[in-house]
Amino acid sequence: MSIIREHTQATLSDAWRTINIDALQEDSSVNFDTSTLRTPLPDVSEAEVRQLTSQVRQLLRGGDAEGALRGCLESPVYATEGTPEGAREAALQTVVEVLQSIKASDMTPMLQRIYASPGGSECLDVLMKYLYKGMAATSSSGGSAPRTPTRMTPQQTGFSQIGPRPGASSESTGAAMSVLLSWHEKVVEVAGLGCIGRVMTDWRRV
Amino acid sequence: MAAPEVHHLFHNPIADHSFSADRNTLAIARDTTVELYGKVGNAFKLKDELKGHDKTVTSIDIAPNSGRIVSCSQDRNALVWEPTPQGYKPTLVLLRINRAATFVRWSPSETKFAVGSGDRLIAVCYFEEENDWWVSKHLKKPIRSTVTTLAWHPNSVLLAAGSTDAHARVLSSFIKGVDARPEPTAWGERLPFNTVCGEYMNNSAGWIHSVAFSPSGDALAFAAHDSSITVVYPSAPEQPPRAVISINTQLLPFMSLLWNGEAEIIAAGHDCEAFRFNGGVDGWQLSGAIEAKGRPGLGGSQREESALNMFRQMDLKGKVKDDTQLKTTHQNTITMIRPYETAGDSVRKFSSSGVDGRVVIWTV
Repeated sequence: MSIIREHTQATLSDAWRTINIDALQEDSSVNFDTSTLRTPLPDVSEAEVRQLTSQVRQLLRGGDAEGALRGCLESPVYATEGTPEGAREAALQTVVEVLQSIKASDMTPMLQRIYASPGGSECLDVLMKYLYKGMAATSSSGGSAPRTPTRMTPQQTGFSQIGPRPGASSESTGAAMSVLLSWHEKVVEVAGLGCIGRVMTDWRRV
Repeated sequence: MAAPEVHHLFHNPIADHSFSADRNTLAIARDTTVELYGKVGNAFKLKDELKGHDKTVTSIDIAPNSGRIVSCSQDRNALVWEPTPQGYKPTLVLLRINRAATFVRWSPSETKFAVGSGDRLIAVCYFEEENDWWVSKHLKKPIRSTVTTLAWHPNSVLLAAGSTDAHARVLSSFIKGVDARPEPTAWGERLPFNTVCGEYMNNSAGWIHSVAFSPSGDALAFAAHDSSITVVYPSAPEQPPRAVISINTQLLPFMSLLWNGEAEIIAAGHDCEAFRFNGGVDGWQLSGAIEAKGRPGLGGSQREESALNMFRQMDLKGKVKDDTQLKTTHQNTITMIRPYETAGDSVRKFSSSGVDGRVVIWTV
């Protein structure tokens, strides 16, 4: 017994389901670029990333690994219209370099110090983004040309999704992955599952 | 702290729950019906079923003074259930939306209610005497996606809305002839219908799950899918806010929040338990869980395991301990928390409902 209008024979046909009514509405989300709702991010050039990288390397050589890591995380290179792919790639390489140079026993205390400092939670979110990007890069094509999830388009051939077998990837890839995985574990220990949730929700991609 | 009062009603998700003013009737949104439970002794027993929706009921609210129940559903309709001596009589509301209705709340004045929808708008509904039905006016701009949650300002004119476009907004729902001209507040002085008094988002821009005005109405809190809560303190109309404080947590996202006075927020969600935040305009922090951990003898989950039983379990199931139950009272996501007993601005008790079919009354 419903007080809502009974279905007639006409409404029971399901042909109307194939109509994309969103496309017909002027103010629907299909016809609207939602990125305009957000505050724009600054573009970063490759030269700026090179400068950052050299500063970070200098800190690393000086033995200040924490400072180096902080330096990377406080100025993340986000995907924007005007940021070249190469700049983001170089930023990722720098972060991975720093991560590889830190001893396993130093990870947790260092993360805890960063987390406790002002803005530390944000820093670890950025680190998590780099970890996931690093994993995507090393697993998809041996680190040469990672596909970014934002630009991914369905491909014509059915075979392009198949990457090299895990066993066939080079030794260095495996080593990089194991570093990233152990960092991932440590970051979750310190920043909690909320950190993973934030990386998934955040529209600012590294 | 007193132990929570647990009512396990059934094994289905509860979309929303609402208590009547005398706390003797509990309305539950279950599938396509609204179920009314009456208090019998210490338990709630099924008393009535309100059938009228074709699809899942998404939200319900009982007006504390008039006793009217409003429900809304994915079938794009809202119904007002009027209590009569013969039972509840439904009245259809003209929402004029072509997407699911997602959320409904009575204004504190009880002359209006607001329905959020997937049609990127909020329908503000009021009763038109001459035509003898509920009509609606649409708050459309600048909402760009599904409205997931709503909250009323104490003045019954300002309305906070959270949306999947990651914005929490404060809008005016002033309706001539229904509302008295509101006192000017920090949100705005002149408030014609659809005035946008504020639009806020946090850095990582997650979906908004819940919004709430503080008891005075001078601060707004919202919970987003990035496991954060954000508190906004407005300064003056048309001015940037005095403070916007965002607290990222290590926890899973919060689905619902409420204010306890001006200096405490209680939030609950995917972690299946409620947490307490304390602070003010200078800053907020997470101060801990409401639920005391490791209470003895809680619902059989921490029952004494005999040695025989333990070895039998290991032999039969190959497991050392029973890990099929969570340590929290709720066994699944909490989707809604509401004040249950208040004293002035502070909340003494609040109720929570969740995907596990439980309604729990907590002492703060």
